Amino acid sequence: MSKIEEVKSNVEAGKTKLISGLVQEALDEGYAANDILQAMIDGMGTVGDKFSAGTIFVPEMLIAAKAMSLGVDVLKPHLAKETSISLGTCIIGTVQGDLHDIGKNLVTMMLESAGFTMVDLGVDVPAEKFIQAVKENENVKLVACSGLLSTTMPAMQATVEALKESGLSGFKVIVGGAPVTQEFADKIGADAYAPDAGSAAVKARELVNSL
Amino acid sequence: MLTKRQNLMEAIRGGNPDRFVNQYEFLEIILEAPLRTRPKPGEIITNEWGITFNWPKDQLGPFPVHDDEHIVLKDITKWRDVVSAPSVEFSDESWAPAIEHAKAVDRKDKFVTAFFASGTFEMTHMLMGMEAAMMNLYEEPEYMHELIDYLTEYEIRYARQIIDRIQPDAVFHHDDWGGQIASFMSPEMFEEFYLEPYKKAYGFWKDNGVELIVHHSDSYAANLVPYMIDMGIDIWQGVMTTNNTPELIREYGGQISFMGEIDSGVVDCKDWKPEIIADHVENACRRCGKHYFIPCLTQGLNVSSFPGVYEAVSEAIDGMSRKTF
Repeated sequence: MSKIEEVKSNVEAGKTKLISGLVQEALDEGYAANDILQAMIDGMGTVGDKFSAGTIFVPEMLIAAKAMSLGVDVLKPHLAKETSISLGTCIIGTVQGDLHDIGKNLVTMMLESAGFTMVDLGVDVPAEKFIQAVKENENVKLVACSGLLSTTMPAMQATVEALKESGLSGFKVIVGGAPVTQEFADKIGADAYAPDAGSAAVKARELVNSL
Repeated sequence: MLTKRQNLMEAIRGGNPDRFVNQYEFLEIILEAPLRTRPKPGEIITNEWGITFNWPKDQLGPFPVHDDEHIVLKDITKWRDVVSAPSVEFSDESWAPAIEHAKAVDRKDKFVTAFFASGTFEMTHMLMGMEAAMMNLYEEPEYMHELIDYLTEYEIRYARQIIDRIQPDAVFHHDDWGGQIASFMSPEMFEEFYLEPYKKAYGFWKDNGVELIVHHSDSYAANLVPYMIDMGIDIWQGVMTTNNTPELIREYGGQISFMGEIDSGVVDCKDWKPEIIADHVENACRRCGKHYFIPCLTQGLNVSSFPGVYEAVSEAIDGMSRKTF
């Protein structure tokens, strides 16, 4: 197994204590930082697929994301500011009236691991705050709205509608959360729906590539 | 006509119930028993464990506050310095309302029921946040085992007190082990960290006169059912439709019973309608049958978030009993 394959498989396995050393060894062997980063992103893609398939669970996904983050820390000084791998900025938040954050945090980790620069607005986020964040941040390609309560689905609808009617462009909107369905996402005019954090990363990449 | 208690026992033993067990009717939950401070809507409180809860008025329940300022346990390796279980000793005066309530219950009709929340898993993530509670299972497993054992010992100390005071026939115990479509952790990890502690805790309740263990987890947890059986759970309350409950009944009926199948997230809403609730109840009763199954909202108490929903479900279940029995 090459060093870069070793990096990938250790991200997948969430080897937080080994990954920094392996990334450094890959750099020392002459691998380009971008290639190492791509290997780690691919590893996280596999993690997301396994999570969506139900063969791994939340702890495995979290620990893999942490391994990736530690690996990126080693890579950072070697990466150009804007790498060709960057997918742009994603604004994420749980919609107004809803304080649930676990699902949102998982999606944040997976999107970050996929190559997005994440701006996390937290929970109970009003529509205006999403719009403000799109205006204030550079290169926004995606807005992700989370909601866990059936009672806050109207707030999700209002958020998506406000984003679409804001006159701002150049980004797509993805929604998710326990009560959300593809049908609901279609009804409220969202560009995509993801049932879990693993598929959110896949969908997000597809959406941004379609821009 | 069987009493509620008799009817429940017939249903969970595969005998001859004379109607559907109607939601929580067989449990008389003694909520007056002292346990810990809980917030009311609109309040922010810090409880006896040091956990801060915020319950905004417009929310259906409280949330633990896990920002840097409020999180209790930032470093699992230091848990012994930071986590301190509150006393389980309460004054006679504190116990009086619970004792009075328990005495008023006709135990031939209903189970006098102790309430215990939050369970061991929930306590770990309330103390340190969900991400840390999950990742530490990998990164610091020894410390997690220690903390889980400590939390289990606390439960047993509390159980000893409430058993002494009200002699409960049942315990209704909360610990959510999953989301809507998956358990939080793998069955193997659940077995490694939570099976033995729960066997110990539930074993203590049962060894001291508690006949019925009712465990609440309104989630997917079908993959954990073998462990539920092993740890002594008699009824899993909160089973959501995502679990394929009829299949679980076929596979495990007789070893454990399932209470739920009417998803609160779907029917307990602002614009609820009795006819929609009746449809859900009918589907649940027809799919799951009269043995090893209790039709119930998945909510973890005998209430609903929106006024009238709980009662409408009960009425619909009575209607199904008239049609079925």
